[in-house]
Amino acid sequence: MRTLVLAALAAAPLAAAPAAPPKPALPPPPAEHQGRDYIKENGYQGPKTCEVCHEGTARKFLDTVHWKHASKVTNVEGVDPKREWGMKNRSYTFCNANDIVNNLKEIPANEKGKSKIVGCNSCHPGNHLSDVGSTGPEAEAAVDCLICHASSYDYSKRKAFKTADGQVAMGQDRSVEAALTVGKPTVKACMTCHEAAGGGPLVKRGFAFDAEHDVHAAKGMVCVDCHGAKDHKVPTGFDPNNWANDGLRLSCAGCHGEKPHGDPDYDRHTAVLACQTCHITTTGGAVAKDFTSWTKLETGFYEPSTIKRAAADNRPAYAWFSGEVVNTPHLIGPKGKRGDGKSKIFPFKVYEGHAYFDRTTGKLLLMDFAQPTATGDTKAGVASAAKTLGLKNVDPVPGWQTIYFANSHLVTRTKALTCDRCHSATGVLDFQALGYSKAEIEKRGLRGAGLWFDKLLKKEQGKDE
Amino acid sequence: MKTLRLIAAAAVAFALAAASPARADEKVLGKVTKIEMSGKDAKVATATLQDEAGKSVVITVEDKVTLDKFADKRITPGDEIKCKYVVKDGKNVATFFKKPGGCS
Repeated sequence: MRTLVLAALAAAPLAAAPAAPPKPALPPPPAEHQGRDYIKENGYQGPKTCEVCHEGTARKFLDTVHWKHASKVTNVEGVDPKREWGMKNRSYTFCNANDIVNNLKEIPANEKGKSKIVGCNSCHPGNHLSDVGSTGPEAEAAVDCLICHASSYDYSKRKAFKTADGQVAMGQDRSVEAALTVGKPTVKACMTCHEAAGGGPLVKRGFAFDAEHDVHAAKGMVCVDCHGAKDHKVPTGFDPNNWANDGLRLSCAGCHGEKPHGDPDYDRHTAVLACQTCHITTTGGAVAKDFTSWTKLETGFYEPSTIKRAAADNRPAYAWFSGEVVNTPHLIGPKGKRGDGKSKIFPFKVYEGHAYFDRTTGKLLLMDFAQPTATGDTKAGVASAAKTLGLKNVDPVPGWQTIYFANSHLVTRTKALTCDRCHSATGVLDFQALGYSKAEIEKRGLRGAGLWFDKLLKKEQGKDE
Repeated sequence: MKTLRLIAAAAVAFALAAASPARADEKVLGKVTKIEMSGKDAKVATATLQDEAGKSVVITVEDKVTLDKFADKRITPGDEIKCKYVVKDGKNVATFFKKPGGCS
């Protein structure tokens, strides 16, 4: 039963169109890693040790989004479906940088004489010498298996440093102590990277996966209970702003089915509403950032000026979403409309980003963070990124971009939207904006208590008995 | 009469302020020089921070998230930390203890 409940929501939107098939029940994993004795006797030498039993796994891992930070993308307008896209090479205003232009490196000293080694690819599970998308035996040997799989990983060893020949490398904990704690990734293992993305704890997606904020976490589930990988390819849902994928999709229906409520009125809604719309009523994290004017910190470094909310401290916006994505310089968002046969209404975290666009082409310009982090000079960062990308004569002008993020965690059962939260004069859904005519809203009483009063009253009275 | 009212109002304001002192958090930005924790599951730890002027402050940490970062060494000596704390029973108890922001 647990396995059935598992796959559900955590991740991205309930794929409206392609519903994932129910997961088969899998046998429980062994309580203890069977390679413990081997590791005790032979020590731990990274993937070489893992491969004694898990042969070929490192090579396969190199073909995953976790290693490539990119994949082919077929649901986003304006991108070449034959190329791979992801945080390796994308441009958008939540980060305004990517692995290429903001590669891990030592930045110039700030006015206090401090420097540091930073870059977008600091979370890449390699050693940076074998970097994002690298292949071959060296790359296979560089995989940091334990960063995800060891429950007792010494993070002080995972710090960037300079090698004797001046290259920037990322350290790893390859101790026997850590290797003896391998298992399926814990919530912490996932969230160490996924929670810190985009400028600090809970800034990007703005959800906390803990018992206070998510019903699945409260039941003791972990990320990979839903995002259960196959050959290290991790299933995800559809998200206007998360393009790279391993080709595996998941949805709430995979565990909960299409009619999960035991109430025909609620179940009827699943034809037009994603589960998240009623069961994820909050959002959080950054609501806006300004990459054209950075804020000076007490440390003497600068960071993008950011307005943020705590986890679950904001309200989502609602829109039809078919899984296809609008992608223009000033909007990255959901495509879809009522009655197209493939869209449902989803909740989204909406974010506004201020950055530089090229006056001539109108395209968003990326930024190398080294210069602005040290001095606050954002145009120097744009110039450096343009140089890396081989762009000439860029003419930066400030502009805004709106981004819709899937709102797929912070799942609640007890605080889900009830009839009165949508079907009232002040309900959370703007039916007209969602494509319902005034006449239809009136005729069907979509904004009135007549639609639900008797039903809810009966339920309320039932609670008291 | 007006003067009397003013004095009375001032007295009330003073009494209220004294009864519920709204004490602001102290702040320090400094490098961790020492972390003392009795074990991975300890409920409390102390961290010594040295600010840019060389002054050391011993901070008591009680929140689970930060303790967890000490336990798995996501925060170690040498890291720069932005800290806010309140003085409680003679101890500097952290209300905020994090590496300064920014993409890294």
